[in-house]
Amino acid sequence: MRKTYAEVPGVSIGSRSPSSWNILWRELVRDRLAFVSLLFLGIVILLVYGISFVLDQEQIVSIDLFALKKPPSAEHWLGTDYGGRDVFGQLIIGTRNSLSIGIIVTVLTGLIGVLIGLISGYFGGTVDNIFMRFVDFFMILPTLMIVIAFVTAVPKYNVVSFSLIMTAFLWMGIARLIRSKALQERELDYVQASKTLGSSHLKIMISQVLPNLSSIIIVTMTLNLAANIGLESGLSFLGFGFPESTPSLGTLVSYARDPQTLESRWWIWLPASVLILVLMLCINNVGQALKRATDARQRKG
Amino acid sequence: MSFLEVKDLKVHFPSRGGILSKKIPPVRAVDGINLSIEEGQTYGLVGESGSGKTTTGRAIIGLNAITSGSVLFEGYDLAKGGRRSHLDVRRDIQMIFQDPYSSLNPKKRVLDIIAEPLRNFERLSPMEEKLRVQQLLEQVGMSPEMIYKYPHEFSGGQRQRIGIARAVALKPKLVIADEPVSALDVSVQAQVLNFMKDIQQEMKLTYLLISHDLGIIRHMCNHIGIMYKGRYVEQGTTADIFGNPQHIYTKRLITAIPNIDPLQRDKQHIYREAVREEYERAHDSYFDNEGFALPLKPITKTHLAALPERG
Amino acid sequence: MWRTVARRMVIMIPQIFLLSILVFLMAKAMPGDALTGLLDPSIDPASLEAQRERLGLNNPWQVQYWDWITKAFQGDFGQSFRFKMPVSDLIGQRMMNTIWLSIVTLILTYLIAIPLGITSGRYNDTWADRFITGYTYLGFAAPLFIFALLMLWIFGFHFGWFPTGGSVEPGMKPGTLEYVLSKFYHLLLPALSMALITTVTTVQLLRSEIIDTKQKDFIVTARAKGASESRVYNRHILRNSLLPIAAFFGYEITGLIGGTVFIESIYSYPGMGELFLSSISLRDFSVVTALVLLYGAASIIGALISDITLSAVDPRIRIK
Repeated sequence: MRKTYAEVPGVSIGSRSPSSWNILWRELVRDRLAFVSLLFLGIVILLVYGISFVLDQEQIVSIDLFALKKPPSAEHWLGTDYGGRDVFGQLIIGTRNSLSIGIIVTVLTGLIGVLIGLISGYFGGTVDNIFMRFVDFFMILPTLMIVIAFVTAVPKYNVVSFSLIMTAFLWMGIARLIRSKALQERELDYVQASKTLGSSHLKIMISQVLPNLSSIIIVTMTLNLAANIGLESGLSFLGFGFPESTPSLGTLVSYARDPQTLESRWWIWLPASVLILVLMLCINNVGQALKRATDARQRKG
Repeated sequence: MSFLEVKDLKVHFPSRGGILSKKIPPVRAVDGINLSIEEGQTYGLVGESGSGKTTTGRAIIGLNAITSGSVLFEGYDLAKGGRRSHLDVRRDIQMIFQDPYSSLNPKKRVLDIIAEPLRNFERLSPMEEKLRVQQLLEQVGMSPEMIYKYPHEFSGGQRQRIGIARAVALKPKLVIADEPVSALDVSVQAQVLNFMKDIQQEMKLTYLLISHDLGIIRHMCNHIGIMYKGRYVEQGTTADIFGNPQHIYTKRLITAIPNIDPLQRDKQHIYREAVREEYERAHDSYFDNEGFALPLKPITKTHLAALPERG
Repeated sequence: MWRTVARRMVIMIPQIFLLSILVFLMAKAMPGDALTGLLDPSIDPASLEAQRERLGLNNPWQVQYWDWITKAFQGDFGQSFRFKMPVSDLIGQRMMNTIWLSIVTLILTYLIAIPLGITSGRYNDTWADRFITGYTYLGFAAPLFIFALLMLWIFGFHFGWFPTGGSVEPGMKPGTLEYVLSKFYHLLLPALSMALITTVTTVQLLRSEIIDTKQKDFIVTARAKGASESRVYNRHILRNSLLPIAAFFGYEITGLIGGTVFIESIYSYPGMGELFLSSISLRDFSVVTALVLLYGAASIIGALISDITLSAVDPRIRIK
């Protein structure tokens, strides 16, 4: 890809060269499935955040004794749950909450993972050894159980503490990946050159090495976003995710743990299940397309 | 006091040993070398790969930790303290790297690459900075309009010019050039070398030129040091080394330079054979039991060689 | 080889130690202690305090930790207040169910992965391959709990082909053939739901291994020597492609740990995961800590197995 640019001087003379962002974007648009997925995601995000802005959240999560377990109707598009709460409204709010926490956790784990991976890989040696033993320990933890146990152990449990707990046990994967890439980068002459030019370690890490890792960070974080939404809804499904008053997509699916609801009131849990599935599929599509775009061998065009 | 004086420099790399494996003796990459360079001259460091010539250069500029010895640059001992000590002295020493492909950050524009040292040491406004970079580009024979391009848009020779522009941006006094042209096409090599000579005159630079190519060394250097397995085998002026080589290793290196004059071919061949025979016969007396070079002995005032005791 | 194993074992010891401290502190942080549930609230505070003193609950935490860990290593995790029986007996019953579930899942995983991976890799870019790749694409994105729920809904409730809960028909005598068959019958749908999702990565791996191996020089050589197509596949490509798959066996174990919790909860299958969830809801913390410790040990062993198999298969990975 890059080579073709050098060989076609007419394209780039006088103009700025395409940055890696542009290349990623172009590849994404060219991949039809990924582009449709991205479009769909954009629409869902706009709808969900838009509608939930208008919706009266208080009214939706409060119990209405006159409308228990109603099937879908004109008033309640997807019926009501055992507390008489409108399922469609919960679906909108739940999607918003699931997306929000997925994004928050992805960003936080990304920050921690990139920081630790970068320091560990850039310095190597003893620093790397210490950091990696630390990461190894976190890697062997049975994450799901520990997160559940922490969720129950934490006093004053709320959305913030939930995202912090999730973050605390999910940053290792990206840290390992960034570390191995940083280990490769630090051997390259441009890093050595920066040292001889008087740049500090911090400056080299942030402004020299980090830009070379940007595409892999974007790819990993996209794929992590899907995984985090899946994990959050899974935890909420088991009853250890969001607090009761804050519905998530997993909360709606968890109604299906009641055999009667599972068997005969599909409108409560099936839409949320399908939505989770489709969201994760779309985010994965985008992530895989980005991954192909960063790997020159797999690029489509 | 010399401009740069390296005294008994040693760089040892510890061999990796874990919890369960036993200690291995360190690799002696550079094992006690002395050299001094006068201002405005070019000093050539020659040797085969693994001889420690690159490590010597990297130790002087602070990329490799110095095990012992001293590096005196205008009287400051750079061996004491870490890479970040003597920062204001170190800005006077810069480096040109071997590989023009990996030595320029692929994600940075030419402007950012050349401006990196300026941003570290000089406070310039963006306009001034841009102007300086454009001047530097012109100085290395490139169009100043190239500042917004990325490294991959240039050829190897052009990249190396960008690398040189970056190295001289701070108007350094000493430039360490580590195999500056060995990654380039032969046709471009001479261009870049001659350009390096021009810029040396223009900016009154001192070069430490590291190369395995004796042809380049002869073309560029006033003084030469020949390294083998971390030690010097011979040291002297260009005339000393090429006119009167003493050590058998030096002799073999020099006879290996191809000669394009067909009339000399037979003479050259006979001489080469003679040197080869001497090398095989006398090899053991020129190196110690472990295969390292012997201590240097003075031959003339400028010429030293690691020769065995006579008799 | 043995050096690698020994080295990995050495790394394991501090890991287990750290894990136990973490689990212990976590249990301490949880609201209430062993007595809160054990005694009825009408008892007067003074005798409660005396009880605490007797049980050592007022000692400094490191003393309590030492007490707990030494007992734990002898298999004594204390009492479950909910079931009024020793934790180790309680877990013992459930553990067998989870182990069976895991074994059947693993077998199904490979039974699905190997034929699909081989077909997809050998005939890549055909319709069969596109179909299989589509399945792996879906399976990679689908969360396990949603897929399992759909399976239960469709095959358990809608068609009624499989039981929808429990590990065995009530009233069966252990040891009889019916008992064993009923156990297997109850296992099948949960195990299949999990296997269909976990197998996806193995299928993808096997496919890309085969496609990679197909282009290697030694395969070209084998063909050039006139080896038949089936011989090329069976003798040369498969042997080289299956090795990396074997090496990921340890990772499969680690992956199962989280999966069984969801599966057991959805299918009300009485295993460790289901016990874990109900114990944590009822604040039966001695059971919870014991289970987290066991799961942690399982995941350490899983990592150990994968490291060892990896180094056995690929000498380059061996720790020097």
